[in-house]
Amino acid sequence: MNTLRLITFCLLSIFIVSCSDDDGVGTEAELSLETETFENLHAPQQGGQGQPVSGEFTKFDFETGDVTDSDTDWDIALRGTTIAVNGGEQTGTDDEPERTSDAGVIIESGTFSDITQVPETEDFVQDSPNGFAIPSGSGNGWYSYDFATNIINPIPGKIFIFKTSDGRYAKLEILSYYKDAPTDIDPFEDEARYYTFRYTYNPNEGQTNFD
Amino acid sequence: MKVRFLALFLLIISISALAQDNDQQDSLQFYELEEVILTATRSEKKSSSIPMPIETISRERIRKSGFRRLNELLQEQTGITETIDESGFRGIQMQGVSSQYIKVLIDGLPIVGRSSGNLDLSRLAIGNIRKIEIVKGPSSSLYGSDALGGVINIITEKPKKEKLNGDVNASFGTFNKAETNISFNQKKENIGYTFFVNALSSSGYDLNDELEGNTVDPYQNITLGNRLHFDISKRLKAKVKSRLYYQNIDINGNSEEWDANIITKVDHKWSESINTIYEMYYTSYQANQKVFDEVGNTLFDSNFDQQLYQPEIRTIWDIKEDQEIITGIGGRFQSLDRNLFKSSVNFNSQYVFSQYSVSPIEQLNIIVGARFDQHSEYESQLSPKISAGYHLTDDLMVKTSVGSGFKAPDFRQLYLDFTNSAVGYTVVGKRVESEVIDRLQENDQILSLIIDEDDLGEPLKAESSVGYNAGLKFDKKRYTIDLNFFRNDFSNLIDTRILARKNNGQNIFGYINRDEVYTQGIEVDANYQLNDNVDVSGGYQLLYAKDDNKKEAVERGEVFYRDPETLETKKIEQSEYFGLPNRSRHLANFKIYYKWIAKNAYVNLRINYRSKYALFDTNGNGLIDVYDDSFVNGFSTLNLSIGKTFLDDYELQLVGENILNNEQTGLLNLPGIRVTARLQYNF
Repeated sequence: MNTLRLITFCLLSIFIVSCSDDDGVGTEAELSLETETFENLHAPQQGGQGQPVSGEFTKFDFETGDVTDSDTDWDIALRGTTIAVNGGEQTGTDDEPERTSDAGVIIESGTFSDITQVPETEDFVQDSPNGFAIPSGSGNGWYSYDFATNIINPIPGKIFIFKTSDGRYAKLEILSYYKDAPTDIDPFEDEARYYTFRYTYNPNEGQTNFD
Repeated sequence: MKVRFLALFLLIISISALAQDNDQQDSLQFYELEEVILTATRSEKKSSSIPMPIETISRERIRKSGFRRLNELLQEQTGITETIDESGFRGIQMQGVSSQYIKVLIDGLPIVGRSSGNLDLSRLAIGNIRKIEIVKGPSSSLYGSDALGGVINIITEKPKKEKLNGDVNASFGTFNKAETNISFNQKKENIGYTFFVNALSSSGYDLNDELEGNTVDPYQNITLGNRLHFDISKRLKAKVKSRLYYQNIDINGNSEEWDANIITKVDHKWSESINTIYEMYYTSYQANQKVFDEVGNTLFDSNFDQQLYQPEIRTIWDIKEDQEIITGIGGRFQSLDRNLFKSSVNFNSQYVFSQYSVSPIEQLNIIVGARFDQHSEYESQLSPKISAGYHLTDDLMVKTSVGSGFKAPDFRQLYLDFTNSAVGYTVVGKRVESEVIDRLQENDQILSLIIDEDDLGEPLKAESSVGYNAGLKFDKKRYTIDLNFFRNDFSNLIDTRILARKNNGQNIFGYINRDEVYTQGIEVDANYQLNDNVDVSGGYQLLYAKDDNKKEAVERGEVFYRDPETLETKKIEQSEYFGLPNRSRHLANFKIYYKWIAKNAYVNLRINYRSKYALFDTNGNGLIDVYDDSFVNGFSTLNLSIGKTFLDDYELQLVGENILNNEQTGLLNLPGIRVTARLQYNF
């Protein structure tokens, strides 16, 4: 994995260097923003239903746009309905990853396209012994649980703006908690803990815009 | 459905038109003496002098409806509908106000035993009812806690004649419903009594095969009601009234319910103008339920034992013909023993109330009143109310009233200590918050506190409301029209919030005063007596019931919905916010009563319409919007009863309920067509 990344990095560097040579403009070329939809990120957990929750978190890295096993190079980590950021301190739950960077999150209300900029007036929140930066529990953080239908729905209009572990910015909207994002959820048939989310990642250092 | 409803409406209109053709001369004997209302003022007042919205259901109408239980009957009243909350508890909604906030009385005294605040009125047999009075709008100025949306008072039969009189009836119908009713009374010189017994059983039914268990399990219940009147002297009269209800439901396990009331009352007339009533009331409600699964494991075990003693003394002073003062003082001593509480808990409160009615000029009636409740568990409440009615003409009155109501935090909101064993969340009452959190912390079950430790146990305030009613009443004997605008503003409604996170990923919930909601709308009631044979009436309620905070959040553009197909998120517009759950924008009813005098028979047809409503939020944005898919489409129910008297004292009645066969599954669980035959002997 690491060797692969090293090779990518080298190739990319060569490319950038060669580019700048060719064009003769500055030393850095602008990288384009990527809006992607990630489907079926599996975030299993053990316990629950009255028992203590445990199990490894599934980690995600915006830079590669994929899940990762790296202990340090990750931005968010998911287990069941819990979402951790790679910043701050451990909350105290079992099996949670160590926070190794300065990542954080701001929760905004709006449609995905409405959010075009990292808000300047708000501070990024990090995990701490007082709880996760994205609060857990129905109606508090990203989802609401319906007692009548037993369905977990992402609260519409919740947009999460992340500062990533390498100081870039991303915005993210969770679309579904069920495998293949079914239109008509049957909580007893459809498998839960499969996240589908949409995100925009700005790979350029220092840039806070999403369009 | 709308088409069918319209067709029926047209049918009723055409029947009315036909009937009008043979309109005869007025026969004045048909009109009763002017009705006297008790509930609105706690003293006998002529209906025409009461400046607030009232409805009454007479004994005659109860009989001709063919219904057996209070909930069935009330649903045919304008602006009243039966609802079922998310947990499946039934209750009556009035002016868009839910069951928790409506006080139900028997002979002026409150019934206890609510499930999550809802009072299931199918517990109340109506075979010995003289009449039912409904007062809409807050009435805490007379009745204290719970009377935010209004008061429903069931007035039982009193001893009438020297000769033993009464009736015996038996009925059988769909779902093996069998009912026996015996009721009689007698009054001799200074002693009078009434006796009532009702036994009802059914084999239950199942509307949804996919769900485990029955929709309604087989049940048997019995109601006993008695009165004893004893006139000690002309000025001193004593009464004892009692009621006992027992129900057994056949389930895997056992489920039993008891409900008892005893009223002892002494009425002392000091003089022609002053009398004092000494009243002692005791009521208890017990419900024990134990449910086993197939292999005998306990699924559910619940014991509930609530008791209330309520002594009261009140004096009514008729100062002059146009002035009256009522003053009362009383206490409420309540206790509840429940297996979800650590120990039995007690509430004590004392109250005083006073009301002054005056008619400074003949056309004007003013009623001013207030009640002060002091309570052991929450802050004292002052509940004022003022109403005024002005007769523009002999037939037309303008009515207006403003009043306040409150509901004390209930035992559950203060003392609950409940952990759901299947899911693992915990709910705690306000009073035991710190205690439970400490315990769970010691057991290492708590991950983190969400609420500052100092804020735990911060007292709850009473939920309160202010209600405004203004309307017109047109009464020309043969036809009456009642029009009323209402608005009820609720504040400090109690909601749940998260206190702490548990290690199992679940939360600990506590209670907090938070929500502000309103209900507003228009009610119209019209009655037209075409001739000796035909009586037509109709009612309509338009309702808007919304949560103020949610409305503001929509206004600020903070509420969204996600299209399940495209997964695109969009803003909710104000016009897309539907309002509170279980509220229909339109409720309507039409009734036609045809008396076939020559054949000693009658037909009584009633149709009730309820427009679409939503049960709960399904798209996760915390409010009900037009994109939610828990909407129940509007529907009509048609009930018909046909009766014939023969051999003077016998009556045969056929009752068809929901004869359009509009079965409703889901939460409402309304069964389709049901038929009952009843034979009655009057003596």
